[in-house]
Parts: sequence; structure tokens; C-alpha cells
Amino acid sequence: MRKFSLFVPLLALLGAAWAKDASAAPTLDDYRHFRALTVDLKGRIPTRDEIAAFEKPGFDMNAWIDAQLTGPAYADRVTRIYMDLLRLQVSPVFNASNGLVDLRREKIVGPDGTPMYVFYRLGQRRTRVETDGDFCLTPDDTGLAYPVNTPPVPYPTPTSPPKSVPQDVLDAATVVVKPWWLYRDYKSASPAQYYNATTWAQYGFQPAPDLLLEPDGVTPTTQIRICREETQTAETGHVYQSKRTAPVTADGGLPFGRFTSVPYDDAYTTKNAGQPISCRTQTGISRAQDCGCGVGLERCFPTAANNVQFAPAVVAPELDVLGTDSPIDSVRQASGDWDRLWWSEEARQFLSYVFGQDRDFREILNAPYTFVNGPLIQYYQSEAPAGCCGAGVGLGYTAPDALFDPARLPKDLLPHDANKWELVSNRGAHASGILTMPIFLTKFGTRRSRAHVLYNAFLCKDFIAPPNLQLAPSTDPNLMTRPGCNSCHATLEPLAAYFSRVMESDITYLPPSAFPTDTTGPCSGANASLNPVCQCKTDKNGNLNGTCKNYYDPSFSDGKHAVLRGAYPDTTGATQGHAESGPAGIAAELVTHPEFASCVAQNVASSFLGRPLTTEDEGLQQALSAAFTGDGFKLRAVVRAMVLSDAYRHSNNLTSSAWRDGGSL
Amino acid sequence: MIRASLFGLMLFAVACSKSAPAEPPAPEPLAPGHGVLQDTTPKEGPRLISSEAYIRTYMTLFGGLSPLGTQAALQGKDGVQLFDTWSDYLGTIGMPDYRYDTARLSQTNTLMMATFERVGVALCDRALEHDRTVKPRLVYDFDMPGTLTAADFAPRFDVLHRTFVNYPASLAPTDRTNRFFQLYQDTVKQHPAVKGSRFSPAEAGWAAVCYGLIRHPEFHLY
Repeated sequence: MRKFSLFVPLLALLGAAWAKDASAAPTLDDYRHFRALTVDLKGRIPTRDEIAAFEKPGFDMNAWIDAQLTGPAYADRVTRIYMDLLRLQVSPVFNASNGLVDLRREKIVGPDGTPMYVFYRLGQRRTRVETDGDFCLTPDDTGLAYPVNTPPVPYPTPTSPPKSVPQDVLDAATVVVKPWWLYRDYKSASPAQYYNATTWAQYGFQPAPDLLLEPDGVTPTTQIRICREETQTAETGHVYQSKRTAPVTADGGLPFGRFTSVPYDDAYTTKNAGQPISCRTQTGISRAQDCGCGVGLERCFPTAANNVQFAPAVVAPELDVLGTDSPIDSVRQASGDWDRLWWSEEARQFLSYVFGQDRDFREILNAPYTFVNGPLIQYYQSEAPAGCCGAGVGLGYTAPDALFDPARLPKDLLPHDANKWELVSNRGAHASGILTMPIFLTKFGTRRSRAHVLYNAFLCKDFIAPPNLQLAPSTDPNLMTRPGCNSCHATLEPLAAYFSRVMESDITYLPPSAFPTDTTGPCSGANASLNPVCQCKTDKNGNLNGTCKNYYDPSFSDGKHAVLRGAYPDTTGATQGHAESGPAGIAAELVTHPEFASCVAQNVASSFLGRPLTTEDEGLQQALSAAFTGDGFKLRAVVRAMVLSDAYRHSNNLTSSAWRDGGSL
Repeated sequence: MIRASLFGLMLFAVACSKSAPAEPPAPEPLAPGHGVLQDTTPKEGPRLISSEAYIRTYMTLFGGLSPLGTQAALQGKDGVQLFDTWSDYLGTIGMPDYRYDTARLSQTNTLMMATFERVGVALCDRALEHDRTVKPRLVYDFDMPGTLTAADFAPRFDVLHRTFVNYPASLAPTDRTNRFFQLYQDTVKQHPAVKGSRFSPAEAGWAAVCYGLIRHPEFHLY
């Protein structure tokens, strides 16, 4: 009853339209209101011309507001509310580069005695045991020796001077290519459209200067020399069996002067020798000799040194604060920085579209669509699948069931097309708004952090332990029931369970067909060695094997079964189907929650008023919430009501002190 | 005891009287400007303009340049380090850094004020260098004669006032036009003693007016 009685008069509070006498001269309050509206809806203070237009008799403020609410600055303004809440950028500490698509660069001495660069992929399979998985020229070939047993990252510095590599050795191991980062028409038989800083500015792609010059620092690089295997273009390769079944050693260390181990055959390789395999997956790249970087090396990304994490690859904005179409800086960046930039920009483009087109707000959480540009297409086509499937191969998961189905990517954009964005109407069966975007899944790496930020941003609630909470010692792994912990985790764990099928700090989706939530059941079938139902149960010592532990939680496992990590609310009966419904499940739960709409109203009102809401704002929040749900969960109606409300107009009402009596001058 | 009895008798008499009950006293009139007896609405000071709006405002003041174009304009061509780069100032003007979960600043602080001052001075000086030689003028959209009366000063000041705080100077809560005229006059008078200035006394006077407005709370708050 109280809510109803509050609601009706408060609708009037919202001010359905600007009520000022349009023929009267504006007052100081009118000017200030117009300034505030301009700041919030145009993204800057008004110009003198705009003020002059405002002062003219008959100025139609309602029409002006409506016009601004369809402009890009409005979309930016509202996007900012949710970017502030979700903070969708990843720290540079997070290494987003993928070594299996990054091309390293070694400096050798060529046949004529002059220094030259040779590109290669660390992990590329080759026939020669000396170079398999590593640089295609041996220390004997190049004279470059490395400290023994040095970890490959960071790449060590050679300890001996290089020697001239004979032409026949060089030609046997390497070839010359005109790669995609130097040629716009890299797919043609004879690429001719060489990089031009002026004309390529329209694409938004600029290779790092280090990639444009030969070792002498003067000669332009018009083509590159690269290890032969990397230039293969087949989509499908074949599992290569080296017949090595154990690590190769020499004198207790690594052989052949290598600083990386020689690859050897695992169970999957032995069982599937010679079988076809996708050259875009980690499984294929790391097991097939006949998998390369594709036409023009488009499946790989260059770096101008041996250390891909820090070597410059591109010149791009580092600080994406106004959107990449308005960069405030331009610096040399590594390949991982390039990925992180576009992951974040995907979310910004997506949010801006939802708000700019005034689409159903709930699509933020459940839309199948997204936006991609050239770099993101390259990422989703090549780099993302190259991250799959890690240890999952040991359980038969060899090709990704991707969150973003690469088959749905546009075909008309090139890796250089950073400035051109295209709508992808459906990313695939698992897509769910921002929840399945790489930026969200890497920014919030754990299942719980993903659930927490959504709980906070979309329900305006937080997990706060009750006063005087006592945490008694306990060995109960179920945090929903463990005394003390359960005060928060009884709510958090079921929400986190929705993310059980997305690897932590990763975007790899774990399909039910390969990773059952519970491995209870009889072991049957021909592939028992790769079947979690057979493999993932504890042994007599209570241990899960190493592969299973990557995916199954030992704390909820025994000799009869194992439970997918994070999914225990489902298997203990607290919830049903959270793991199976995935991110779309939490989206459905959030958008139907009673506090969803009021939280949107709170977030908008708080942002536009520049302060947290108080109990005095309850009526305003209710009215905005009603405007939101009454208009099909569209935000434009909420913002329009907000900027016309008395609360907004009088939001800076401490004039006497805050304005310093008009300032000292 | 007698007093108590008398008091009780009086109460009884009042209670049994058939006359109309006494009217409650009329409420005291509310103080001017107060619509209700107790105003419980939240009292908040003006909001800080977002750092995005701050940068976009500078872009607009420089005639619609890009952020990097505005940066180049603020840096100028003479090597005087009035302005470094936007990235040097983002933290101090309150821009959130999502990479490190650094929240947006909604309150001013000493460093922020110092940054506003430094960046504002850069804008005033670079715009003046532009406007004295190139048309259309960006900020100082008026001529700058060597001598000005108060009447000459007012309309020119109004241009700057509208540019930065977005309303006519005549509506300012204080006698702002006269105060700024005094600032202008003092600067013009003292400027000849400044060695090596790029500005004439009149130009320095207008630059000082610009500094005053671009550092004014009404420019950064809304």
C-alpha cells in the first residue's frame, strides 16, 4: 500500500516534460540546468552557439532532449555507467598473448655476412629432432648458443657470437613471405599493396616500427624470411607421431643446445597418429607438422623479438578512455596488448549499441549478438581456438566447442580493419551478452568473481558478512553449509555454478558431452583412457589424476565419482541445472529478479545525480524503475525521466557554500 | 495541596465546558524559500564534470579537434612545456583506470586542482596565440585594444564567461564583471615589468581573465 501511495504522486515528480515558459528569459537555474543537460547528454559543456540557441524564445527543450537521447554522446554517457561498474579492461599483468600464434624473431647472420631476421613459431612441429618445436636453425647452423636449461620465457640471450648461415642451409629451413602485416592484399599470389602509414591510417592498423626495418635500421622490410613449416596453409593437418615416448636428454640436460624440451608422443598422439586434425586448434598446432600459419601468415601474429610478451608488434592506443575512435595516445604494444584492447572495445561497442539503439536492456546479459572488427575476427578465428584444449586432450576434448562459433564471423574484414565494426547477429549456442565475451571472462577470472560482479552491478547487492560472524574451524568443503561461510556462500555458490563450464581465467567452454557434471556411472566404450567417467574417480589413496584435477574438484570426489569444479551446488541438491544452463542461466536469473529493475534505476539515478541514493530518493527510484519496466526495459525512458526530474534539476542545491558565493572572483 | 486542588478543579471545569474546543495555535509562517517545515531532501554540492567530458570540452574549445590534435595544440610549437600528454593527466583529473580497478574520482583534490590549473593555463595561452592571428577565433572571440573602459570590457568578458561557465556574466551571483575588470587592469598595469613575455599587456590581461574563469569552480562542476 505504501508503495502504491508513493508511486502515483512520484510519477509527477519525474516531470514528463519540460514545463518552463518558453517565452520567458532563462534564469540562472535554467542556464545551469541546460549546462548540466549538455554535459550529460552531449558529453561536454555547451558552446556559445548552443547557449544562444537555448536563449531564443520558443526554444523547445523537450525536443532538444529527445534529440540528444538519440545521439552518440548519450550512448557514451550511459555506457560509462556500466563500464564504471564492470571495469571491463584487463591489467597488463594478464598475459593475453598465445605463444602458439605468436611469431618470434631471431637475428642471425646471413650467407653474405650481414645480419638478418628469421621469424618462427615456438612449438611448431618439425621433422628434425634438433629443431622440432623450436627455431628451425640449430645452434650449429647459426652459432647462437644459449644457456643450458634456461626457461624459454623470457627468451635467453645468446652466449656466443653468431656465424654466417650457409645459403643452402638457410633455404632448406626457411622461405621468404610477404606477410599480412606488411601487405593489404596478402591473400593474392603476388601481394603489392605494401604498408603505407598514410593510407593505412584509415584501417587503424600500424605495425611497430621494429617490424618495418631490417637489422641495419635503414632498409625497409618488404618481405620476411620465416621457417618453412610456418608457411603451410592447410586448414587440416595430421597428427604427427615422432616415436619418441619420453623426454630426450643429453648429459642430464636438454639436447642439441636447445633450451626447450623436445616434444614427444602422448597417449592421444599415439592413439591418433596420422589422423586429420584442425590446424587452428592447440591440439593440431602442437601435434601436426603440416599445420602452419595460413595464407600470408594470417593465423599468426608477429612480434619484433624473441619475447612475445613484451616485444612490440603494433602501434595502438594503450589507454582506451574515449573509445578507440578517439585515441588519446599511440604507443608500441605487444601482441597481448592488442588482444586486450579489442576485447575491451568489443564490450564498449556492444554496450554502446544496446544503449544507442535503445534496445532491451536485458540484452546486455543475454544477447546472442556482438560486434567484431578485423583484429577480433583474427582473434576468434585463430588465437582463441589455438588456446584449446590444453589438458582437455587427455580427456578427449581436442577441438573447441567455442563460446563464439568462428563460422559465424564476417568474411569481408581483414586483420588490419580495426576501425570497421560489424554486427554478428548470433555468436552461437552458448552466447549470452557480455557474459561470454573474453573481456568479462578474463577480467573476472574465477567463477565466484564473475558471479559477484553481476550480483553487484545488476542487483545492487553485495556480500557482506554479518556482524560478529564466527568462523569455526571446519573441514566441510561445501561453503553453502559450512558455518559462517554460508552467510555469503549460500547465495554466491549457486550463482558461481553457472560458470562451471567456462574455464577460470580462460574462455574455454567445457561441453557436457566431454565433461559430465558428475562422473558417476559405469566405464564403457572404446575410449576409456580419454573418458572422464572412466578416468576421473579417486584412487585408493583418495587422489584424482592430474588431468582430471584440472576440471574436477577433488574435494567433492571419491572412488565412485568426481564433480566438475564449481558445480557442486547442483550435485549436492542445492540447485538444479546451473552448470548445464551456463552463463545464459545466470542471465535469466538476474533479469527476472525482483530487484533487477530497481537496481538499473538506482545505477542511472546515482550516476546522473553524482551521489549515492538515500532513503529520501526511494520514490524517485521507484518511479524510474516503473518507467524502465513500463517501456520494455528500455533505458532511454529512464534517462529522459531522470533529466527532467526535480531531483536532477536541483541535484546541486548546496549553492551557498559549494559555489563559493560565486567564486572569489 | 490547596494549589493542586484548585488546578484539578480548573481542569475539570475546562473538560466539562460545553463551549467549542480551543483552536490550536496558528503555525508560525515558514521562512522564505522553505516550502515545508522540514526539508529532508538530500543536500549535495555540485557534481564534478567527468574526465571524459572535461577532455571533450577541451576538444570543443579547440574547434573540434581529436584528443591527439588537442594535445598537439596544447603543447604548441615553441617547445614551452605548458602541457605534456593527456595520459600524464588522466589519473589526476579523475579518470578511472579499469585495468587496475581504479575508481572514477567524484571529489576534487589538491593534485586535481593543480592539474586543472596547469591544463587550463595551457589552453588559455595556446588559444590566445591562435586567436590573435587566426580566424575564426576559438576562445577570445573579440578584438583586444590596448585600453579598455569597464563598458568596453563587459561584453568581451561576457564572451569568455559564456564560453567557460555557460551563462551571461550579468547573472553571476557576485559582481563578477567588475572583479574581473579589476584583475584585467591590474595585469595590464603590471605586465610591462614581465621580461620576455610573448603577450602584450592587453593580451596578458585577457589571458589572466581566462585563467580565472577556467579555474573557477563553475567550470569544473555542474
